[in-house]
Amino acid sequence: MAEMRKPAAPLAGRNCDDPKIDYKEVAYLAKFVTNQAQVLSRKRTGFCSQCQRELKQAIKRARHLGLMPFVQ
Amino acid sequence: MGNTYEGMFLLDNQVVRADWNRAKSAVTETLQKHGAKVLAARRWDERKLAYTIKGKTRGTYLLTYFELGGNGVNEMRRDFELDERVLRYLVVRADQVPAGELEKSAEESAAGFSVPPPPTEESQSYERLVFGDLADRPIQEPSRHQPESDEGADAPVEAEVPQAAAAEES
Repeated sequence: MAEMRKPAAPLAGRNCDDPKIDYKEVAYLAKFVTNQAQVLSRKRTGFCSQCQRELKQAIKRARHLGLMPFVQ
Repeated sequence: MGNTYEGMFLLDNQVVRADWNRAKSAVTETLQKHGAKVLAARRWDERKLAYTIKGKTRGTYLLTYFELGGNGVNEMRRDFELDERVLRYLVVRADQVPAGELEKSAEESAAGFSVPPPPTEESQSYERLVFGDLADRPIQEPSRHQPESDEGADAPVEAEVPQAAAAEES
């Protein structure tokens, strides 16, 4: 039988009611990307779908302004 | 009036170094030209960019909040696309001006304000945030051989190893 992989601990630590994720908080956003600056999947971040969408949007905005890389 | 927007503008550092207030007014005047009411405008930060934009590796960010009717935004965009001083810009809807922004903006407009000197270390660059102090470290080839000048210091250490090995064997 295939081994079941234990789910990774969610990184999120965030309430969905908190204010929206801001593209200016680069230090916070940087936690949710891989070494190559890809956005982590929901499995890895532990965000709910709405929060993940906010995260995605914020990272894309930060990338546009040159605050975060597209690839590294 | 219209909606409240947050506008972030990435300005060419050459223009900023020449005169910050003129660089700032270049943006605010374009906003006003399209009927915006500028609520706050302040220097956000100067940073090393995560990738080169129009050949620039550094830039200064201007954070603004303004009120504008929805129709004005697209016309305003056209002007910023043409403006060579603005490397990048981002305009997003804001529900209201965040607390503290008005004060920070007023502080900057006050007479005594002087533009902070350019940062010497990249405390806020992306690499710094991700890798911490590692970002500063120069990349070195790992060398197995000690520099020759250290030979004297190394000699006793090397001498000890065979002795220890010999002691274990016996």
